[in-house]
Amino acid sequence: MRYYARKLGFYLVALWAALTLNFFIPRLMPGNPVDTLMAKLQQRGGATDPSIRRSYELLLGTDTGDPLIGQYVSYLANMFRGDLGVSVSVFPTDVSTVIADALPWTIVLVGLATLISFLLGVGLGTLVGWKRGTWLDSLVPATTVLAAVPYFWLALILVAIFASTLRWFPLNGGYDVILSPGWNGEFIASAVYHGTLPALTIVISSVGGWLLGMRNMMVSTVSEDHILTARAKGLRDSRIMTRYAARNAVLPSVAGFAISLGFVVSGSIITEQVFSYPGIGSRLLQAVENNDYALMQGIFLVITVAVLGANLVVDLLYGLIDPRTRAGNR
Amino acid sequence: MTNINPSAGAVEDGAPPDTPGGTSGAGPAVRRTGTSGWRAMLPRWSPKLGVGLGLVVAIALFGVLGPMAVGDPDTVRDIGMTSPGGEFWLGTTQTGQDVLAQLAHATRGSLQIGLLVGVLATLFSAVFGVIGGYVGGAVDEGFSLFSNVMLVIPGLPLVIVIAGFVPVERRGWWTIAVVLAVTGWAASARVLRAQTLSLRNRDYVAAAKVAGEKPWRIISVEILPNLLPLMASQFVFAVILAILSEAGLSFLGLGASNSPTLGTMLYYAQNGFALQYGAWWWFGPPGLVIALFGCGLSLINFSIDEIIDPRLRTVPATGRRARRTAEGGGPRKRKASPAPRRDAFGRDAVLTVENLDVVYRGERPTHAVKNVSLTLGRGEILGLAGESGCGKTTLAYAINRLHRPPAEVTSGTVVFHDRDGTDIDLLALEKEELRAFRWSKLSMVFQGAMNALNPVISIRAQLEDVLTTHRPGMSAEERRERCAEVLRLVGVDPRRLDSFPHELSGGMRQRVMIAMALLLDPQVMIMDEPTTALDVVVQRGILREILRFRDELGFAVVFITHDLPLLLEISDRIAVMRDGEVVEYATAEEIHKRPRHPYTRELLDSFPSLTGERGAFVRTGESGARERTETTVKTVKEAGPR
Repeated sequence: MRYYARKLGFYLVALWAALTLNFFIPRLMPGNPVDTLMAKLQQRGGATDPSIRRSYELLLGTDTGDPLIGQYVSYLANMFRGDLGVSVSVFPTDVSTVIADALPWTIVLVGLATLISFLLGVGLGTLVGWKRGTWLDSLVPATTVLAAVPYFWLALILVAIFASTLRWFPLNGGYDVILSPGWNGEFIASAVYHGTLPALTIVISSVGGWLLGMRNMMVSTVSEDHILTARAKGLRDSRIMTRYAARNAVLPSVAGFAISLGFVVSGSIITEQVFSYPGIGSRLLQAVENNDYALMQGIFLVITVAVLGANLVVDLLYGLIDPRTRAGNR
Repeated sequence: MTNINPSAGAVEDGAPPDTPGGTSGAGPAVRRTGTSGWRAMLPRWSPKLGVGLGLVVAIALFGVLGPMAVGDPDTVRDIGMTSPGGEFWLGTTQTGQDVLAQLAHATRGSLQIGLLVGVLATLFSAVFGVIGGYVGGAVDEGFSLFSNVMLVIPGLPLVIVIAGFVPVERRGWWTIAVVLAVTGWAASARVLRAQTLSLRNRDYVAAAKVAGEKPWRIISVEILPNLLPLMASQFVFAVILAILSEAGLSFLGLGASNSPTLGTMLYYAQNGFALQYGAWWWFGPPGLVIALFGCGLSLINFSIDEIIDPRLRTVPATGRRARRTAEGGGPRKRKASPAPRRDAFGRDAVLTVENLDVVYRGERPTHAVKNVSLTLGRGEILGLAGESGCGKTTLAYAINRLHRPPAEVTSGTVVFHDRDGTDIDLLALEKEELRAFRWSKLSMVFQGAMNALNPVISIRAQLEDVLTTHRPGMSAEERRERCAEVLRLVGVDPRRLDSFPHELSGGMRQRVMIAMALLLDPQVMIMDEPTTALDVVVQRGILREILRFRDELGFAVVFITHDLPLLLEISDRIAVMRDGEVVEYATAEEIHKRPRHPYTRELLDSFPSLTGERGAFVRTGESGARERTETTVKTVKEAGPR
C-alpha cells in the first residue's frame, strides 16, 4: 500500500526534523545553558557526575571542542535510549520519569476534550450546513466569538464563576490530594471531577472551528450531484444528510485534523497552567521558569512525538474512510 | 493560545499532505480576473460584514488614536483598586493605574504584533506555497515537505522553548513577532500550493506560457490576482492567531519585555489577583478586546470566504412559500381538470403535465418553464430537446419536485397515472408521500454519472440503500440478489458491487446508474443527458440497452438532450423547447420530415450530418444508413445487447 508507506515515511522525516530542531535550538540561542544547569545542580547538592554533564552537553551543546556532527550522532543515540538528562527543577528525577508521570494526565484530558469537541463541532456543523438559511445559521457568527476568546481568559473566568463563586468545581489540580493515584473508583471520580472545567475550556474554545469548517463543507457538498441523486432516489432526509452529505463533507475536517490538533495542544498547555493541572503543559512552563533546559527540551520532544503520532493515526484512518486515497494501490 | 481554525482556507485543501486530489473535488471556484473581475473580488455587503468591519475599525482606531487621548498608563496613584466611574472610566489597577490608558496602549501593542506577524506569515506562505506550486518538480517536493513538517510540529511548545532560551532583556516585540510568523505560516502555504497547482493547469496560464511570458510575470499577473481573496482570508487569520498567541505567551510571562500588550495586561491582572478581588474591570476588558477583534476579523472572513467559494453565500430568502412548493407539498389550488388519460397514439398515459410554470425567484425572477403541457404514454419515449438553458432540465426536475428553493412551481399540474388506475397529483403530495413516490414509480438517470454517484461508499451500498428504504420487507439475501440481477441486466459484472465509483469507467458508471434506476421496476424513467459525457461507441451500447429495457420492462422514458438527431432515432415523440416554452411537439417522424417551427429547423440544420443526402447519422458510429426513425429503432433493437 503506497499510501500508507508514504505516510509512514513522511512522519519519520517529521520526527527527524523535530529531533534536529531540538538539537540546534539551544546551540543557536545566547547563553550557556549547560553551566546554568550544572550550577543549579550543585546548589541542590547533586554530585557533579561527569556523565550528567556529558548528557547535558549533548542535549544543549557547549563549546567542548567536539565536532558538531559527533555531538549530533551521540545526541540521537541518547534520544533513542530515552536518556533526556536529569531534571533540575524536580531533582534528582530523570527527565524521562518526570515526563512519564505527567504525560497520561495530558493525553487523557486533551485527548478526550478534543474528541468531544470534534464530535460536537462536526455534528453541529452538519446540522447547521444542512438546515442552511434557517435560524441555525445565526449560530455560526456566535461561535466565532468563542473561537477568538483566549483560552486562559476563558479558563480564568470559568474558574471565577464555577469554582470560586459557585464552588461547583475545584479551583485547581488534577485530583484530590488526599487520595493516592491508582486505578480505583474514588480516584477516577476525583480525576473526572477535577478535569471537567479544564476540558470544558478546551471544548468551548475549539468547537467553533470544527463547526465552521464542517458547516462550510456541508454547504458545498449539498449542491453536488450525488445529493440530487440521493433525493431522487427517495431516501429519507436523515439518511441523505448523514450517509451522503456529511460522509463526504467530513473528509476535509479529518484531513485538517493535523492543523487543528496543533492549536488545541497549544491552547491546552496554557489551560493546564491556569488549572495547575499535573500534565505536561504545566511541567513545561515550570521548566521554563526554572531554566530547567533539559526538561524543556524533553517535553517539547514528547509533545511533538505525541502530535505526530496522533496525526499518523488520523491519516491512516483517513485512508479507511476515503476509498479514493487507496486508488491505484490495489 | 491559538484556538482558531483557519476555516475555509485550511478546510478547502482537503487532501492530507502529499495526496493531491483526495477530496470530493469541491475546490473553491476561482475566477479569471480581468479588468471587470476586480469588482467581483470585493466582498458583497452583508450585516455580518458590517458588524465585522465596525468592530475591527473601532478597535483599530482605539489602538491607534487611543494612546494619544489617554493619560500615562504607568502613573501610580495612591487609590488602590477602584471600580469604574468618575475620572477613571474603566477603574484602576491595584497600584492605581488607569485601566483605560493601559488598555489603549496594550491594544496598540497587540495590533502591532498581529499586523507584523500577519504580513510576515502571508509572505512566507506565498513564497513557499505559490512558488513551489508553480515551479513544480523537486522545488515543489522540497517546499511541500518543509511546509508539512512545519505544520505538524506544534507551534506554541516550540515558541515557548525558544522564548525560554532567549533572556528576557533580549525579547523585544519584534523577536516575538518573527518567532510567531516562523511557526505560523505552514497551513496557509499548503492551501496556496494546492490552489496554485490547480491554477497552473488552467488554459489562460498555459496560453501565457506559450506566449513566452516570463515566469515571474505569469505568477504576478495571472496567478496572484486569483489567489488574492484566499490570501486575504489567510492574512486575517494570521492576525487573529498572532494576537491570541502573543496574549498566551505574555500571560505565561514569556512575551515581549519592552512593550505593553493585551497579554501582558492580563498577566499583571492575574498576578494582582484581579479576579479574586472581583476587579472585573481590570481582567475583563483586555480579553474582550481580543475576543471582539478576533470576532470582527472572522466576520469579515465570512465575506471573503464567500468570494472564494460562492456556494457558501446564504441563500436569498425565498420565503416559506418556495420551500413548501419545492419539498413540503402543502395546499395548492388543486384538483385540476380531469387529465387526458390517453396520449396521441391512443395509448394509456402514464404522466400528464399541464400548463406547468416554473419561476426562479430572485431579484430578477426568471420564468424558466412557461405553460408547458405534455403527455407521456405508457412505454413511450418522449424526447425533450433544446439548447442549454432552455428549461428542459428544470422542467424534468419540477416533474419530480427536485427543483431547489429559488425555483418554484407557480402554476400547472403534474399527474401520474399509476398502473393500478389511481391518479397521483405530484404537486400536492406531502413530503413523506413524495419521498415514497420517488424512484419506486419514477426514477432518474443523470448526466455525468461520475458525480451522480456518492464517491465514498460502494456501489452495493448505494444500490441497497434504495431497497432498504423502499422495500423494508426485503431480506439481506434478497437485496443482494436483486442488486446483482440489475447489474447483470445492464451488462456489469456483479462482482463490481464492491467497487467504488472512482474504480469504474464512465460508461460503467452510467450503466450502474441505469441499473439503480431499474431497481424498483419504475413506470417512468427521466434521463437527463444520460450519454452526453460518453464516447460514441459506449453511447451507442447504452442507448441500445435503454431501448431494450423499455421494450422488455415497459416503462416510459423522458429523454433529455440537446442532440436532436439522436432523439429522432430513439423517440416516439419529441418536444422542442426554447426559452422555457415548448415550441414544437410532434412525433419524431413529423419533426424529421416536416419541422414546422423555424427553431426546430435551425436545430436540425445545426447538425451537418443531417443535411447530407445520404449517410445521415453517420456520426453515431454505427454502419448502415438509417433514414427513418422507425427503421432505426428497429435496427438498434435487432442489434441486440452486444
